Amino acid sequence: MSAPALIHVVDDDASLRTALSRLLSAAGFAVRGYASTGDFLLDPPPDRPGCLLLDVRMPGPSGLELQTFLRRQGSPLPIIFLTGHAEVAASVQAMKAGAVDFLTKPVAREALLDAVRHALEQDTRQRADRDEAQQLRARFDALTPRERAVFDQVVAGRLNKAIAEAMGIAERTVKLQRAQVMTKLGASSAAELGRLAERLRQLPD
Amino acid sequence: MNHHYPNERIDHSSRLHWTGRDQNWNYQCAEYHSTNLEKHYDLAKDSFHTMKDRLTTITGLVLLLAASWLMLASVAAAEDGRHVLVLYSNHRLLPANVEADAGLRETISPDTELSAEFLDYPRFSGESYLRTLTAFLRTKYALRPPAAIIVGGEEALALLLQYRAQLFPEIPVVHMGVMRAFLRDHPPLPADVIGVPIELDFSATIEQALRWHPRASHLVLITGAAVPDHAFEAQLRRDVGRFSGRVTTEFLAGLPTATLQQRLGELGDDAIVFTPGYFEDGAGDHFIPRAAAKLIATAATVPVYAPFDPFLGTGIVGGAMTPFLDMGRQAGQLVNALLDGAAPASLTVPTVMPLRWHLDWRQVRRWGIDARAIPEDAVIHFRTPTFFEQYRRESLLVLSMFVLQSGMILWFLAERRRRRRAELTLQKQRFELVHASRLAVAGELTASIAHEINQPLGAILSNADAADLMLESSPASSQAQREELRAILADIRRDDLRASAVIQRLRGLFAKQAVEHQPFDLNDVVRDTESLLRIEARRRRVSLDTQPAARTARLLGDRIQIQQVLINLVLNAMDALAQQPEERRTVVVSVAVTADVMTLRVVDGGLGIAFEHLPQLSDSFFSTKRQGMGLGLSIARTLVEAHGGRIRAENAPGLGAVFQVEFPVVGGSQSTWETV
Repeated sequence: MSAPALIHVVDDDASLRTALSRLLSAAGFAVRGYASTGDFLLDPPPDRPGCLLLDVRMPGPSGLELQTFLRRQGSPLPIIFLTGHAEVAASVQAMKAGAVDFLTKPVAREALLDAVRHALEQDTRQRADRDEAQQLRARFDALTPRERAVFDQVVAGRLNKAIAEAMGIAERTVKLQRAQVMTKLGASSAAELGRLAERLRQLPD
Repeated sequence: MNHHYPNERIDHSSRLHWTGRDQNWNYQCAEYHSTNLEKHYDLAKDSFHTMKDRLTTITGLVLLLAASWLMLASVAAAEDGRHVLVLYSNHRLLPANVEADAGLRETISPDTELSAEFLDYPRFSGESYLRTLTAFLRTKYALRPPAAIIVGGEEALALLLQYRAQLFPEIPVVHMGVMRAFLRDHPPLPADVIGVPIELDFSATIEQALRWHPRASHLVLITGAAVPDHAFEAQLRRDVGRFSGRVTTEFLAGLPTATLQQRLGELGDDAIVFTPGYFEDGAGDHFIPRAAAKLIATAATVPVYAPFDPFLGTGIVGGAMTPFLDMGRQAGQLVNALLDGAAPASLTVPTVMPLRWHLDWRQVRRWGIDARAIPEDAVIHFRTPTFFEQYRRESLLVLSMFVLQSGMILWFLAERRRRRRAELTLQKQRFELVHASRLAVAGELTASIAHEINQPLGAILSNADAADLMLESSPASSQAQREELRAILADIRRDDLRASAVIQRLRGLFAKQAVEHQPFDLNDVVRDTESLLRIEARRRRVSLDTQPAARTARLLGDRIQIQQVLINLVLNAMDALAQQPEERRTVVVSVAVTADVMTLRVVDGGLGIAFEHLPQLSDSFFSTKRQGMGLGLSIARTLVEAHGGRIRAENAPGLGAVFQVEFPVVGGSQSTWETV
């Protein structure tokens, strides 16, 4: 791991915020504290591994509101909720919205660190997926329009001859461009091309 | 003799016979009679003097009627020949004669004419007196001859027997008041002279006395030195023989009075005394027997019995005495029979007049004689009726009023106690309800309370965990790390105090403690409430604003209760705002103090109270909330009123509902010193 994970702690209670920060620091994490959701939004997190430790109830916009906002923004930061009083409705809402955990204060060290580790794993996984998809898209973006058309026909399962007829080009040309696509995308078979196509379809534009 | 009690002779007991007259009488000897006569007069005068005065008119009237009736009766009797002459030995007013005469008149049939003559023996006696008297009687009754003659006393009997041939030959005679001994000592009476003799029976008295005093083992008999005293002594010595097996007898005969008194003072508890009195003591001093009896009774420490009723009142218990009234009745019955044509010989008569017991009630009580052992026909003297007997109706009335009054007092007391208990129960219930309502508030605040407490607890735990991790990772050597650890400990301490402050605040509100009566500042209550509800307000996204008064709002009572009122009002306001948009969710609590009123206002930014709900607002169990019990406002009103205040609700124009609690400023001087 190059840089330590950065944990964002959002809690209006300074004392608790400080205590949590101390604990996470001692556990080897980098920590940043915010007194409110507004503070957090004013100081956007750098793109580095980490997670968000969020108090449910705060003056101003609540933790749940911040979660909704971040989701809408497409922020990948995993969220762990902390609450002074476990309310079923709030916890259900938070978990549905993708929270990693919903912890009740006072929270035991193991529970907190497990949740944080879990969140960071999730973050790492998400980051890896995201990197892979970005590479794939970059490779795909490198295809010429004709190569992209051939790729579509191959993924649709057509044979070279049928592709040549449909595109009005020679079968030899199709063969050549197909090899070109496989090289550019790093695939070794038609089946692999199919899988890549499937992944590409899942990626957001 | 007691002259003080007009009622002394009256016996109210229905069981016992009441004679209502002075029965003093003595038939023993002439001296005795004459000496007592004066006394009886005096007594009669004294005792009945006032009564006589009062009853003069009535008595006169009655006598007049009686006289006219007697005259008519006499005429009738004369026609029928039913005329009876009574010849008494002694003076007309001798009590024995009066008694006997009453018995006669009570018994003899009303159509019989009664004539009475008194020989006045022994004041008048002698041969010439008797001759003159005889001549007088013969002349007097020649025109109106009696059909029967009654003789009262031995002298009259003797006279009649002696002069019968000249006076009233062939006319049947009934005698009364004649001693049995007299008849024994004289030749047998003619067949047409009949009657029941009387007899002195000392043993009857002694017999009964011994029964009343079962522990008595010593019988003391007292007689004197005169001739009649010797006669008594002789009879006593004959009579006491029959008691020799049961008691020891001691004769104190013919002793000087002083010696006698001394001896009487030495007697033990086991003795009783019997005396017929005496005329002369061993020192040669003369007495009337009654006076002697009095000296004896005074000196004796044991019960004294005597056979003569004049002694009653001297201190003697009593005795079996000659019944003169009965004697008259007996003679009357015999005369009735004779006049109805019965032959004198055919009439069966008792051999002797039975004696009648006379008792001094005071002595009966003094010696503890069982009243149930007293003969039915005994005559009780000196029985003062008890207060209850005398004022029976009044007593019953007073008693029943007393009982009624006591009953009412008891009832009132019980009622008061019951009410007091009910009040206490009510008070306790109210207290419980107030407390329950506070607990309900606690339920409502659970989330914010948990938040407030868990916040510091969470910090404490995390700080401790951090310190733990720091120590694990590297030994606490570096200066920076030591500083950090110290900071952690300081924070832990601070958060701990923070948590306990919250708990303290809650405990103050929710603990079940006695109602206080202390001065406090309404502004402090507002501040406390604000800190208690701050988190709750935030949770509900309500802006809670407080505006305490610039000066002290001093109130006397229970601060917690007023805080409860305020909490209720604020929570109500926040409830009302639940459905309102963000900008309307405001609650403002303010305190205002003027010269004579302190006002606590809770204003919300909602839509106000529905008009139709305004009158019901503080009714118990009225609630528009689905989960509300409706007790909040009702209890708030109760608590405010307990502090002399009032609570009202209205809608403020442009704002929401306004709940206003007003307390009077206690004491006019308060505002003065507070502004100084």
